[in-house]
Amino acid sequence: MDIFIQQILNGLSIASVITLIAIGVTLIFGLTGIINFAHGEFLMIGGIVTWLAVSAGLGFPLAVVLAILAVGLMGYILERGLFRFTLERPTNGFIVSLGLIVVLQHVVVLFWNPNQKSIPRPLTTVWDVGGVRIASVRVMVILITIAVVALSFRMITASRYGRALRASVEDRDTAALMGIPVRRYITGVFVLGSALAGLGGALLIALFPITPFTGGTMVMKGFAVALIGGLGNIYGAVAAGLILGIVEGFSAGYGFSQWTDAYSFALMILVLIVRPHGLFGGTSGPRMAS
Amino acid sequence: MKTVLKMGASLALCLGALAHPAFAEDNIVKIGVVAAESGSFVSAGHTLPAGVGLAVKQINDAGGFKVGGKTYKLEMVKRDDRTDISTAIAATQELVRDVKVQAIFGSETHDFTLAMAKITQPAKIIHFAGNSTLAKILNADSVKPGGEDHYLFQSEPQEFQRSGSTARGVLSLLEPLLGFKPKKSVMIVGNDATGQFLSSYYYKALKAEGQDVPDIIFYPPDTTDFSPFLTRAKSLNPDIIHFWYNGDSTLTALPQALELGAAKSYFLFGVDPGIWKEKQLSADVPVAMSCVPVCWGESSNPKAKAYFDAYFAAGAPHGVTSSVSLLYHDYVHFLVEAWQKADSFDPDKTVDALLTLHHKGVVSDDLTFNPTHQVTHATEVCAAAPGGAISCAMQQPPAEAPKS
Repeated sequence: MDIFIQQILNGLSIASVITLIAIGVTLIFGLTGIINFAHGEFLMIGGIVTWLAVSAGLGFPLAVVLAILAVGLMGYILERGLFRFTLERPTNGFIVSLGLIVVLQHVVVLFWNPNQKSIPRPLTTVWDVGGVRIASVRVMVILITIAVVALSFRMITASRYGRALRASVEDRDTAALMGIPVRRYITGVFVLGSALAGLGGALLIALFPITPFTGGTMVMKGFAVALIGGLGNIYGAVAAGLILGIVEGFSAGYGFSQWTDAYSFALMILVLIVRPHGLFGGTSGPRMAS
Repeated sequence: MKTVLKMGASLALCLGALAHPAFAEDNIVKIGVVAAESGSFVSAGHTLPAGVGLAVKQINDAGGFKVGGKTYKLEMVKRDDRTDISTAIAATQELVRDVKVQAIFGSETHDFTLAMAKITQPAKIIHFAGNSTLAKILNADSVKPGGEDHYLFQSEPQEFQRSGSTARGVLSLLEPLLGFKPKKSVMIVGNDATGQFLSSYYYKALKAEGQDVPDIIFYPPDTTDFSPFLTRAKSLNPDIIHFWYNGDSTLTALPQALELGAAKSYFLFGVDPGIWKEKQLSADVPVAMSCVPVCWGESSNPKAKAYFDAYFAAGAPHGVTSSVSLLYHDYVHFLVEAWQKADSFDPDKTVDALLTLHHKGVVSDDLTFNPTHQVTHATEVCAAAPGGAISCAMQQPPAEAPKS
């Protein structure tokens, strides 16, 4: 039984990081229509900023804040400088993001070499409860994710900003006619999604080492979670993140371990066939007035 | 008709001349390196150009080498395969057909080398690769003159030798630190072509040493969260968890294993004690490490210190598997010695010389290739006690492969 509980706890912590990246993906694609496959590299940059800050002697909490700000700023610059020109042609944005993956990876390799980067664990306590090992750093990651998800959910569903945002998703042109600054909101969502990726990167490097190529795997899982949960649906992303984390943990623990990733993506394919809008319903991206 | 035949013959001669490796007028001999300088295999990959580059510098700084009364210097031409087999093939084609290298080193990624050999061998390019998968194709028929792989050389011992010496070394170093004879081992292995190939031999080596191995747990390449795999291993109550084979993945997995208390001791394949010390790693249980083939952070090999001092002084980073560079560095010197002995760059004469020479390298004072173009040498295994003290020993390989 202790092994079973341990596997559930294992799944929860990685599900947290995947959920953070999935929320970024789901917000950006679901609400703005930008398909940013470089979102995983945003997460990687968040990890690198954290590594640089901690290596420079700063504490982990300050490093996390710097990672959020740096990746948020990077998101702002890239949205204003690149992605805004692709809003009418999402395919172009997709291709731009593929190019961005290579550029960001190689910028990091150029300045900080391709080797693994890690930081000392910010929390080192491990509790042993009935044979189940609970690492405090994993608990920290789970709690931060819960707080951020709750905040994002409230902002999207209950705030004036969130209502305007959802109106933009329903009909971008009509929302603009009603006085909603749609372009500015798109920038805001892109920056928010980027900042969440920065936080995800900071939390990821607290758990595991990263390399300049870490983003690729994570963004695939992020997209899988966003699609399973329903694009644009934060609640769906959280639920799907949990499902994926638990599926991964159990498949590695009890199934054919080498197929761990395959189980996750098979689940995604199954959900997309049975429920094309995800388990919890999504937006399918913004709609234009015809 | 005769004119057409003459033109055809002339064209064929011209093309033949173009296809054969050529020398620049300033007596520079080009040697190619194909290695993963980016992508998931980068940790081992970047050691190839570093090791070959150091050997090239050493040879050129010593004034070059004489063949046929002329003095030649070496030039290394490297290509990044990005841990992508298509890129490795394209890079090999470019080095062979356009750059016209005399020899190729790499790739370290096992299945890539097999594909690269399909290009280097028909072109009669001397090809060195430090991976044991070559045993699949190197046999008496394939390496004979006119055979498919006559110009291909394996600069790493056969896998039963490497696995055998490693398993024996790990068990003998961990036993006194554990205070009892370990009986049960679980292997955790990267699920790629290299991992599958290597683990099959290591499993047999452990069984040959009397170990009970109830499970080999494969993880997808690029895994960072090892906790589900480690929890599965923990459920088997092992004396030793053997992380095999990717050093970077192993370093990611070990802290998680220690947190989970997954085993009574661990073995980290391809992790140098230098990294253990540099990263200030520690464990409350014994941890064994092995290098491919000689460690840089702590070594019982007397030549290792001078080599690694020069290697790192040349700008190579301290890596988990920096020692992989030795599977290439020594063979640049070996190749030059062969050219000098043959007094020719003719590939057939070079192969003959390579097969008769006894080269004094860093790895061993007596490096030789057997009739199927494979080397034999010891592997270094180290162990860190819970207090932090590290001891190392060179482990000689078994003479024969385990029966089952």
